[in-house]
Amino acid sequence: MLDSALPSMLSSPLYLLAQEEPAIEGGFQMTALLNQALNGVGIVGILLLTALGLAITFGVMRIINLAHGEFIMLGAYITFWMQENFQMDLLMTIPFAFIGTALVGALVELTIIRRLYGRPLETLLATWGLSIVLQGVVKLIFTAQLKYVRAPDYLSGNVTFVSDPTGSPLVAISYYRLFIVVAALLLLGITMYLFYKTSWGRQIRAVTQNREMAKCLGVNTKLVDMGTFAYGCGLAGIAGAVISALKTVAPPMGQDYLVDAWMVVVTGGVDKLIGILAGSFLIGEANAIIAFILNDPTARVIVLASVIVLIRYRPEGLFTVQKRT
Amino acid sequence: MSNVVLGYKQSSFPAKLAIISGISLLVFAVIPFFIGSFQLSLLSKLLLFGSLAVSLDLVWGFTGILSFAHGVFFTLGGYAAAYYLKLNLSAANNTYGGELPDFMVWNGLEVLPWFIAPLRYFPIAFLAMIGVPALFAYITGSFIFRSKVSGVYITIITLAISSALTTFFISQQAYTGGTNGITDVSRLSFFGTEIPPIGLYFLILAYTTFVMALSWWLTQSNFGLILRSINENENRIAFLGYDVAQYKIFIWTLSAALAGMAGGLFVPLNRFISPVYLAVAFGTQVVIWVAIGGRGTLVGPLAAAILLGQIQNSAERVTQDWQLVVGVLLLIVVLFIPNGLMSLVPKQLRLANLSKPKPLPGTVKAAETTTTEKAQTEVAQTEPARRSS
Repeated sequence: MLDSALPSMLSSPLYLLAQEEPAIEGGFQMTALLNQALNGVGIVGILLLTALGLAITFGVMRIINLAHGEFIMLGAYITFWMQENFQMDLLMTIPFAFIGTALVGALVELTIIRRLYGRPLETLLATWGLSIVLQGVVKLIFTAQLKYVRAPDYLSGNVTFVSDPTGSPLVAISYYRLFIVVAALLLLGITMYLFYKTSWGRQIRAVTQNREMAKCLGVNTKLVDMGTFAYGCGLAGIAGAVISALKTVAPPMGQDYLVDAWMVVVTGGVDKLIGILAGSFLIGEANAIIAFILNDPTARVIVLASVIVLIRYRPEGLFTVQKRT
Repeated sequence: MSNVVLGYKQSSFPAKLAIISGISLLVFAVIPFFIGSFQLSLLSKLLLFGSLAVSLDLVWGFTGILSFAHGVFFTLGGYAAAYYLKLNLSAANNTYGGELPDFMVWNGLEVLPWFIAPLRYFPIAFLAMIGVPALFAYITGSFIFRSKVSGVYITIITLAISSALTTFFISQQAYTGGTNGITDVSRLSFFGTEIPPIGLYFLILAYTTFVMALSWWLTQSNFGLILRSINENENRIAFLGYDVAQYKIFIWTLSAALAGMAGGLFVPLNRFISPVYLAVAFGTQVVIWVAIGGRGTLVGPLAAAILLGQIQNSAERVTQDWQLVVGVLLLIVVLFIPNGLMSLVPKQLRLANLSKPKPLPGTVKAAETTTTEKAQTEVAQTEPARRSS
């Protein structure tokens, strides 16, 4: 177990992504900086996508979900499996990834989470146990071998904003990164619509604000809990499906996203869903810019240290209306 | 504390506890003569992991602070020991002859950095094994606990600390050896004589005994009662006039020092240290030992670390999916045995009960109520809140 921990640490998303496209040496510092900022946008997209599910399970339901990364991993494996067996386009597998992980999520809520409401530290331990189990099961089915998922052809290539006289791009972002950003924003929009404009969303908010009262008014709180958790897990599954094309699919891959997703949710605050947009933007861009000025590991250390300081002074997150308790 | 019955005084010396712990100590002292060298080093390692688990039990089981950063404290102590052993390699054994460790040569360092150089002297290295983790814990602890940050967020902070330090240690290749860590260290020796594996085992056994005894004494004292009360109801303890943050910082620092020393002993045994032990995965492993063994029991975490390690060792020969078993075990314990495996042990055999003198018929309390008893009544008054945070 210890041996497997290190490679996954090394390929932590922030760390890896920033290295993939090194800032171009020479030329204008300005274009390099712009390129890095754009690179940061790609990271923001990934952070947003991976943190969105957690914003539901932790932010709304207050479940300390350490198995979040494993639901991302499940989504990636579903995509891999469908592509392998049915030669499906990556985009076509997304609904299946959503439904598959949501079903697993519902099952988990029914068997584990439900017994532990109101006991955050027990939930934390149980979900950690769950993450080990999910990794183990996936390893049994698919073996520990690295798997690769093809990105659709029409999403390859770069959008170039600035190029040098010879035509090689100076400020560019790949279509796929752009697609991730768009998908993340779209999902955020859909989720916000569901939460604030539909009766299901109203029920969820009612249950989180006052469970007893909601129950009295005829809301089936158990069903709402299960549905919300399943939805959060489904979102993680979508994240896994989309990200699977960017990096190799392997059982421990979820761990890479766990700490980052937590940092995003905690930075943004759990009061409003829109907070995670701000959280992922701050962390992603801060990481990209600091990495440009110094280097990648230092950037990660600085960002994590700032998040610690932030939690210390504002545990409720940056974008939360301060309440007196 | 003594119970007085007309002309009869019962000793407060916990005879049963002394007998049982004496027997178990004797077992551990005899075992090495009957096992092979592989088992000996495995057992030494597991005893150290057990001490580490006990140090986490102090802050988690007793005070209610769940930390994923205990692997970090362990590893910081480990690096101090590794520098000491690396710098004391005789010139013949050193790959490049000089005094500079091999990984520094590879990374183009020409002089020993000033902050590493003093670690070649044993007293300084020894102090660093305890002092560096303790200082790090003191700084982080003062920063975290003097605020309104509550349970779960503290846990997330410890996750971030672990993640950040792992990245940092990997990136500072010239000073820390990067991903590989510090390897090929010399063997631990005293005044020129090398300590054989069995000597190291007894050193580790002595340390584990020390950790157990200290933790036991601490948690049975007045101080331990306050820690437990903080776990039960932090606000009430604060209202009673105790500086809760100070207690938390103290136990956090002490626990880090204990973990660091365990790490320091781990390196002569393991012969290397690397950022693997800094990473969240190892920190979680420690949490799992405590959770499975039983929070707040001291013996539980130690036993769990040793048992799980032994089971893992034999299971790994059969299957590669040992982790799956650990995960299922953890789930079962959390869902069905929330107080850990120690709660399955009959009540009469628990440490806390062994140490109590047998109640005598018609016992009269000694006239002067000791402070311990006062604190006990205070705790008894607080409602039995769930130990959930």
